Amino acid sequence: MEPILRTRDLRKVFRRTRRRPGIAGALRALFSTEYVETVAVSNVSMEVAAGKLVGYIGPNGAGKSTTIKMLTGILVPTSGVVEAAGLVPWRRRSDNARNIGVVFGQRSQLYWDLPLRESFELLRAIYDIPSQRYRENLAEFVELLEMADFLDTPVRQLSLGQRMRGDFAAALLHDPRIIYLDEPTIGLDVVAKEAIREFILRVNQQRGTTVILTTHDLADVERLCRRIVIIDRGSLLYDGTVEQLKDAYGQTRRLIVVFSEPQPQPTIAGATLEHVERNRARFAFERAAISADRLIAAVAARYPVRDVSIEEPDLESIIRRIYLEGISPSEVLRP
Amino acid sequence: MGAAAWCCKVVSARGWLNVTAQAWRIRVLTMLEYKANFFMWFAFTIAYHGVAIAALGVTLYNFPSLAGWNFREIAFLYALWMLGHSTHNLFFFSVGDVPTYVQEGTFDRFLVRPRDVLFQVVTVPNQQWPDELALAAVWFIFATWYAHVAVDWIFLAAVPLIVLGGVLIDLSISLLVAAVSFWFVRVDTLRWVVMSLEQEFTRYPVSIYTRGVRILMAYVLPYAFMNYFPAVYFLHKSDHGLTIVPWLGLLAPVVGALWFTAAYAFWRAGLNRYQGTGS
Repeated sequence: MEPILRTRDLRKVFRRTRRRPGIAGALRALFSTEYVETVAVSNVSMEVAAGKLVGYIGPNGAGKSTTIKMLTGILVPTSGVVEAAGLVPWRRRSDNARNIGVVFGQRSQLYWDLPLRESFELLRAIYDIPSQRYRENLAEFVELLEMADFLDTPVRQLSLGQRMRGDFAAALLHDPRIIYLDEPTIGLDVVAKEAIREFILRVNQQRGTTVILTTHDLADVERLCRRIVIIDRGSLLYDGTVEQLKDAYGQTRRLIVVFSEPQPQPTIAGATLEHVERNRARFAFERAAISADRLIAAVAARYPVRDVSIEEPDLESIIRRIYLEGISPSEVLRP
Repeated sequence: MGAAAWCCKVVSARGWLNVTAQAWRIRVLTMLEYKANFFMWFAFTIAYHGVAIAALGVTLYNFPSLAGWNFREIAFLYALWMLGHSTHNLFFFSVGDVPTYVQEGTFDRFLVRPRDVLFQVVTVPNQQWPDELALAAVWFIFATWYAHVAVDWIFLAAVPLIVLGGVLIDLSISLLVAAVSFWFVRVDTLRWVVMSLEQEFTRYPVSIYTRGVRILMAYVLPYAFMNYFPAVYFLHKSDHGLTIVPWLGLLAPVVGALWFTAAYAFWRAGLNRYQGTGS
């Protein structure tokens, strides 16, 4: 299928004036300005098929927001190709804007002093939404996002969760084909997070809207995305399914043993001791090298054991390793 | 094809009108909701211009004439500026807020919506109310009578055009400052300087200043076309230094249009250079 989003060798370099410390530095800057170039995004190539939900993750300052801003047409790329629904976003900003919806978790798109309803009315005019469609969409979102109680409250008086729901409705009223969600669950409590996640899934499945989701909360990713793209220091590290990633990195599992009495330095063949405290010990072992039941049998044969459990690596620890070690999982995965 | 294209134009023109109407509806609603705020602003506006005019009165009491201008004439000069400036504020005030939007990062929202960016900025539901314009109109009528300006058909036809020119001049300069903020995020100083220059140099006849300032006011930041040159024409003043022809002031809309064209081109270039706050 023809991809709805496509980037090739996408690159963004920011040029900023260099600041020197102190008054002397400031004075020197008056006469000769020096520029520093920072490469925010380099050689990002990816394709997203219509109707998919893709998680776009990376540590702070990795280049996620910059990529999203180039996809949405806010920023002009330094070089490379970017296309969304057949358009070059920054060249045809207005036409592109009709195809997309944007939710920036940290920055509301709503008008601070206006009740939600007025913000929606203004958006209806801005997007030229036919009245029939507007009424249907509004009714649906008010119901799904339970907004009826605060539709007439000025935005500044809303709680974060309410405001976020308002932002989602605002981004979707004009039936966009693609929505970009930048940290949509940031700062929300567990219940609100879950409500938002369910809503995202529903929009993706029932409306067929393509979703690009940026988040630091990996629970969002595990709950929502099959495919993730990882970026760090401006370059793509990984593009594939969550499962593949877990398989590649999930080779190391952990065995937690509770002994009947304290063991100062327990050892088992095939596993390495990572941590011991009184009668509790944690071992790491490779899935390929030894099976869990053989390992448990080996421990039980050597020591009096009260309890054992196995920890599978979770996405969070895998991602943490990727960030810290900076190795590209694509390399690990490539045979 | 011609008909279809024309039809599309009409549809999109309706869209623009819809947005404008919505923005104004919301403005009126907030004005009604925050009545106290409205009256406080109104009181402040009256006080602000009252103080400015009183200060001019005091100056003119001490020096009965400034470069040949008396208080009555300077009152008219001030009224002419006030009319253009307050009309600009009513319709285009938020252009001056663009540097703030850029700094706060809220400017991004205009770039992901399907309308011209400047049009969206202009239709932001802000709290600019027609109080200043109403005051300007009252003061203008008074000053016209007070300064013994001949109200003939040329005057009646020219005043709206001069106000339009004044609006365009004000708008061009805030648009330039806004565009500069796309390159250099912090432009507070520039904003302040430009604002003070306008305040300073529209109050007195430009002829009292030195040659350099006169050229700056006439042709670089053409504030002189907002009030000075038109006033020279209506009051039959002479300014041998600057006025090439007596009716130079009637060119205010032309100067405004030229300036706006240049400023808009600069703004468009700036939009493509926009880097945001980088987060």
